[in-house]
Amino acid sequence: MAQITDKTRAEVREVVYEFFAEECETAIENIHDETNIISDLDGDSLMFLELIEIFKKKYNLNIELKTIGKFAVKNPVKTIGELIHMQMLIIEHENNIINM
Amino acid sequence: MRTKTAILFPAFITEYTQKEIETLSRNKIDFNKYIQQASETLGIDLPAFSYNSAEYRNDELLAQVIAYLFSCAGFDLIKKNRVNIDFGAGYSMGIYSGLYAANSICLTDGIKIIYKAFELVSELSCTGEYAMAGIIGLTIDDINGIIKNKNFEIEIINVNSEHSLVIAGKKADVLRMIDFAKIEGALAVTALNVKTPYHSEYLKTFANRFSDFVNTLDIKDTEFPIISTFDQRLISTSAEIRKELVYNLTEKINWYKTMQTLIKNDVSLFYECGAGKDLSKIARFIDGDFKVIQMHAI
Repeated sequence: MAQITDKTRAEVREVVYEFFAEECETAIENIHDETNIISDLDGDSLMFLELIEIFKKKYNLNIELKTIGKFAVKNPVKTIGELIHMQMLIIEHENNIINM
Repeated sequence: MRTKTAILFPAFITEYTQKEIETLSRNKIDFNKYIQQASETLGIDLPAFSYNSAEYRNDELLAQVIAYLFSCAGFDLIKKNRVNIDFGAGYSMGIYSGLYAANSICLTDGIKIIYKAFELVSELSCTGEYAMAGIIGLTIDDINGIIKNKNFEIEIINVNSEHSLVIAGKKADVLRMIDFAKIEGALAVTALNVKTPYHSEYLKTFANRFSDFVNTLDIKDTEFPIISTFDQRLISTSAEIRKELVYNLTEKINWYKTMQTLIKNDVSLFYECGAGKDLSKIARFIDGDFKVIQMHAI
């Protein structure tokens, strides 16, 4: 189980904000933790998948997508803040996230 | 070494960038003329295009026609910009605009092919209800496992990437599959807005009649090779194109392998030639050092 440091938190936040700004062709200033990914940014599930892949490579995570999928069904994500929180949990717990 | 370039043609439009018409107009391409030609070919008065048009979104024939017309107009834009093209590939029914671009068929013959294919596959409605769905987050083995365990009359008909697959088959089983896929951990499952199980076993029955129709058309050798989405071979002769048109309708396709073949052939620049950005999105999950340019960025 990885230790989440302030540095990790800052990195995850930065990656998520920059990712959505680029993918959704909007300024970072337009994105907040309360921003709704679907209705405000026109985001989609492929973006979610891409973000998981980015963090998987960045932190060398041992995760199966379907494990994340099962967790996401029970813990749906709507906002940028919720997505950042879920990414932290994935980094911290990897495949054990399903036992939470 | 010169960068090799491929143009990619989408089949359907799930979402417009809403920059398509402005991009074409800015380059002095009148999209209404394409709609007019399609109207004359089909013998019906096609509605004027708007991004919110329900007809072009929900009518399976019109959805294919408008995607084809945008891709043809998009290619005419690319041609104006004197882009050197090494290869082409059409995602599913995107092959028709790919053949238009390769100067193998004319614009109106593409419309005739779309109509004939639609007319034939519509006969399936007499035998039951069918559907298609996209599944993200599960592997081929995961999905085939569910199909086998539940004895569903569905099959994987296209692989977009390792974790993005398309299924087709009996509607009731596709809907049940959507529920099971979510339980198994799919990140997203979306029913596609079609009533035809394209590329599935059910379409094989139309192969001969579609082939007979294709043989009536004037099809020329291509000006650049097209990659088959069926078996990833390079196609350039009229005879091969006639075969490929039939395979493309009645056999499973593999977009992932098609993109990998293009990358192995040193393609590092792709143009998504059509409305929306679906193929650019899919390309994000394909490994390789390449760039995809969408129509509005030309």
